[in-house]
Amino acid sequence: MTDLIIQLLSAMNFVLVLIMVAMGLMIIFGLMNVINMAHGEFFLLGAYTVVMTNRLGIGFWPALVLAPLTVGFIGMLIEYICIRHLYHRPLDTILATWGVSLAIKQLIIIIFGPAGLTVAPPLPQMVTVAGIEYPAYRVFIMAIALIIIAVTFYIFLKTDFGLGARAVIANRDMAATLGINTRRMYRTTFAFGSALAGLAGAVMAPVMSCDPQMGLGFFIPAFLSILVGGTGTLYGVLAGGAIVGGGDSLLSFHFSPVAAQVVIFSLAIFLIRIRPQGLLGSKKP
Amino acid sequence: MKSDISTIKSTDISMQRSVFWQPRPAWIAMGLAAILVLFPMTQNDYWIVQLTQLMVYGIFAMSLSLVWGYGGILCFGHAVYFGMGAYIYTLIVKGMIPGFSGILATSIAGLLTAVLCVSLFAVVVGYFLFYGRLKGPYLGIVTLAIAVIAERIAVDWYYIGGYNGLFSIPPFSVAGYEFITPIALFYFVLASSAIAYLLLTHIVQSPFGAILRAIRDNEARAESFGYNSAQHKIITFAIGAAVAALSGALFAIVTEFVSPTLIGFGLSTEVLIWVALGGKEVILASFLGALLVRTLETYLSELMAYYWILFLGVFFVAAVILFPKGIFGRWLSD
Repeated sequence: MTDLIIQLLSAMNFVLVLIMVAMGLMIIFGLMNVINMAHGEFFLLGAYTVVMTNRLGIGFWPALVLAPLTVGFIGMLIEYICIRHLYHRPLDTILATWGVSLAIKQLIIIIFGPAGLTVAPPLPQMVTVAGIEYPAYRVFIMAIALIIIAVTFYIFLKTDFGLGARAVIANRDMAATLGINTRRMYRTTFAFGSALAGLAGAVMAPVMSCDPQMGLGFFIPAFLSILVGGTGTLYGVLAGGAIVGGGDSLLSFHFSPVAAQVVIFSLAIFLIRIRPQGLLGSKKP
Repeated sequence: MKSDISTIKSTDISMQRSVFWQPRPAWIAMGLAAILVLFPMTQNDYWIVQLTQLMVYGIFAMSLSLVWGYGGILCFGHAVYFGMGAYIYTLIVKGMIPGFSGILATSIAGLLTAVLCVSLFAVVVGYFLFYGRLKGPYLGIVTLAIAVIAERIAVDWYYIGGYNGLFSIPPFSVAGYEFITPIALFYFVLASSAIAYLLLTHIVQSPFGAILRAIRDNEARAESFGYNSAQHKIITFAIGAAVAALSGALFAIVTEFVSPTLIGFGLSTEVLIWVALGGKEVILASFLGALLVRTLETYLSELMAYYWILFLGVFFVAAVILFPKGIFGRWLSD
């Protein structure tokens, strides 16, 4: 019973952070038609911001603010330098952002070295959840992820910006003729999506080993979540993230991480074969 | 779906090009072949071995050129086929697959089985991907995930050598003759490159290749003419996989060793860079792209150490933005 609760809590942990990463990816993809291959590296940059603040001696907490700001700014820079030249050939953006990811990863290796680095847990104490002892920091991760997910939903469903963004997702050309500045929206969105990934990286840094390859471990499940859940709706990401993240996490416990990956991936492919638009998707891929 | 003016124009130009076929790439291919045939006379063994490996990568790049440049299938996991080819060949010639002994464990049988199994695997994968109507970026990420998982399986699977891979592969032999000397291996790989090149150019110049280009440029239009696009893509995928498996098996023959890095994400993305930089829409340009990037890598990675990959990444982004048809592609197709 205790084991089961711990497993469920860990799975929930992974799912919530995964949804954060996947939402950023989905928003960028839905709005701009750009698959951001560097999204995992934005996660990586967020994690290394924590490493950086620890080295500077200002501890973990400032990184929670610094990481999304820094990574969002870097995202904006990348949009300005390379992606905006490629809006008329969307398939090439996948190559360009992938080149960017290669460069970022290598830059991290040059600065911090290829080895895994660990960050001291900022909240070492335990709390009692559902009758068992559980690390307080893990609870904090879940809380912050829930808040961010709720805020993102609020922005996209209740604000003027969100209305404009949904208009662009539904029909880009129509939105542009109605006077929405799509270019500016692209830049804001790209920065916002990057910042989400950066924040996710920062909150996960103390519970993971920070190494230059960690981005891929989140990028692929995040993308699979979008694929399973369907594009064009934020609810799809919730469903996809829960299935992919939860399945992966629980199967890893009972079998091995590799077996879990193989099973989840095969299921995803099978699902795409029978339902190409994803579980809740409205748009055909 | 997107039929703005620019895509219509580019389609028309590429159609014209295939009608008025210019012989220039063929002449360049022949010149290159002549240089390669004479190469061993002028150089020492070190360079012969180097060039042999480069040509193996060149064949691999050509197979991706067919799949990506002509089939329009952005494959981020092409090394899966390369690695599977290498592994299957190795397991067979080392006699590690139960039931494969005697004539079934010879080099030729290994080569054929590797190519056949891998293309069958590609048909199965392609069936799910292309009838699932996956396109563009989706396809890219799904193939990427396949590569990552394949690499993890290879690392975890103790029987096929796990993390360390498999060593001491017996030399390639036909009817008692063993290809051991660098020169023999060089000409063997050169002949294989020539066959792969001729096969692939024949395919892209045939009516089948014309249909492929039509699907690549405008899938809806091609389908309304009655062509089954999924079927054509699966066939292309399988041929590309077969050639990639051939290059993988050749890699195992030349280096006498296979490891999980051959099957995974790293090599998959490397080949993508070679082909994109060389020019994905011209078979020969992809071959040259592999030769160029690998040669640069040999020199520059010593000179620049860690900064080489950083440089490659930035250079790649710049090339994607500035030369969408690749460095050699523009020059070879005009």
